[in-house]
Amino acid sequence: MTMQAELEKKSDSRTEEKKERADRVDFKMVTFSLGGKEYGIDIMNVKEIAKASKFTYVPNAAPFVRGVYNLRGEIISIIDLRTMFHLPSERKQDGSLESLLILRVEEHVFGVIVDNIDKVVGISKSSLQPPHPIFGDINVKYIRGIVENAGKLYIILDVEKIFMVDKDLKGARKEAAYEAPKPGMSERAFTSMEADGGDLDLGFIEETLFSFRHFAVTPVNDAWVKARFGQWKGMRKGTDLQLKEPGEADQYLETFYSRCSSVLWDSGYADQVLPVLPAAESRTINVWNPGCGRGHETYSFALLLRRKYPQARIKIWANDSDLLAISMAPNMTFQEQEIPEAYREHMVKGKNGYSFSQAVRDSIFFEFHDVQNANPLPPLDIILCRDTLSFMDVVQQKRLIAEFSERLKASGIVILGGNEKLVAGGWKSVSGDEAVSAYGKD
Amino acid sequence: MRVEYINPFVEASFNVLREVLQSDVKRGELYLKSTSMPVMGVAAIVGLAGDVEGRVLFDMDKPTALKVASAMNGEELPTMDDLVKATITELANMITAQAVTKLHELGFRFDLTPPAIFTGDNMEVTDQDVEALIVPMEVPQGRIEINVAIRERS
Repeated sequence: MTMQAELEKKSDSRTEEKKERADRVDFKMVTFSLGGKEYGIDIMNVKEIAKASKFTYVPNAAPFVRGVYNLRGEIISIIDLRTMFHLPSERKQDGSLESLLILRVEEHVFGVIVDNIDKVVGISKSSLQPPHPIFGDINVKYIRGIVENAGKLYIILDVEKIFMVDKDLKGARKEAAYEAPKPGMSERAFTSMEADGGDLDLGFIEETLFSFRHFAVTPVNDAWVKARFGQWKGMRKGTDLQLKEPGEADQYLETFYSRCSSVLWDSGYADQVLPVLPAAESRTINVWNPGCGRGHETYSFALLLRRKYPQARIKIWANDSDLLAISMAPNMTFQEQEIPEAYREHMVKGKNGYSFSQAVRDSIFFEFHDVQNANPLPPLDIILCRDTLSFMDVVQQKRLIAEFSERLKASGIVILGGNEKLVAGGWKSVSGDEAVSAYGKD
Repeated sequence: MRVEYINPFVEASFNVLREVLQSDVKRGELYLKSTSMPVMGVAAIVGLAGDVEGRVLFDMDKPTALKVASAMNGEELPTMDDLVKATITELANMITAQAVTKLHELGFRFDLTPPAIFTGDNMEVTDQDVEALIVPMEVPQGRIEINVAIRERS
């Protein structure tokens, strides 16, 4: 073989090798760290990287917006990804520079602050693995996937999803519309009718509960409904089991409601709820109380929270879509004899009787609001939703449970009604006690 | 929407309409709405800022707007001219301002933006993710819908 031929062969194999490598690299990502973990962003979204400081503060902007910055004549907003995802972040000393990734998403350009920018890594699509819920710091829907490179795992963020909120919502809404063909009878009710060997009576009861009282039988409450059916058979001596009027539906549901429904909680119940409350993570405790009704449980819970977190600032968003019930809540008054002893010290006497002190009332926002509409809430520590889910149809329940999971902090808990359960994936029970249904993220 | 905000808007709408039209006003059932909604033909909008963010939209059809403006000015106004528009804008301003004054007395800080008016056929208003309280008002001149959307700044 001549020298010439040998050389040619060598260069051939080299180009082949190069080609092979190029085949394997589908896209490149810029890697960086946030709160000690490694992340990546598709390089096609990254316009440049930069170091800067002295951002111009914008009053009243969202907490994760650090300000605006003049990038060679173009004014861009600066977003702190660590604050956005509730990751620990160190504020740099005045004057020292922050690491910035300048991103371009569609026509928008903006800067995000990260801890450290590392390098550019080429990866192939086939090595990209779907996100696993265990990466709890950042909501899974914002993660495009996980890749391994040189022994390190990188979480690849989906910049379009994170910053194009509107588009995402539109899509989600469309999906929901497709999913909601029949809000009436629950699908599950039919299947359970078949599964129970044609126990038609139970099937009919489930259907009438929905039409009389909008009580939908779903995994949230079917254990109770079945158990109650056993009692019901006993009460009716096995005959005439069906519910023929709303009054009978109420009778059937009599034992469904949680303890201390529509009254101030007695100390026995409060003591049962107290141990399930999570440890305080920050100085503010955010609580959502959908379906608060006339507000008895909201006030009781507010006082319980003050007992549990004496140092914290407590904020409760309490909603109900019943205008009459919720209008009474902010200015609820009590007669002396109906106030349990433990509540006395938080009450003040007014013209029409006793009401809660200003400090307690200031911690609660009572809102006339339908939870099926958008819920503008901050990340939550606790969701108190007793006997509310059961009175929504299947689609609404699903949507609200998904919303719970999205709004709740990783360490947060959901408290449901005493006879309600959260059996969907991603939740685990956190109450040792049967009397309180409390769930945390799995 | 916070419960405390509801009454000031309902009362202000009721009082101002009764005063300027010198006639009976009937309030319809309040309800919540969050989808996009058709605008009847004439819409005046006032923005709110301060502790909260939001807006108040006054919506009515064209004949109602003309009749209301005629009644307020004490003369017959047959066409949608500048005077009619200015009158409807003023009505929106009066109602919102009175509501905000009441809220101020309760300790809530609101600022107003100058009102703007929209007229035209087949209009629709869409504000994503905003839940609005609808206060329907029946006056002898027709129906006026007051559409209030306010949320706390978080």
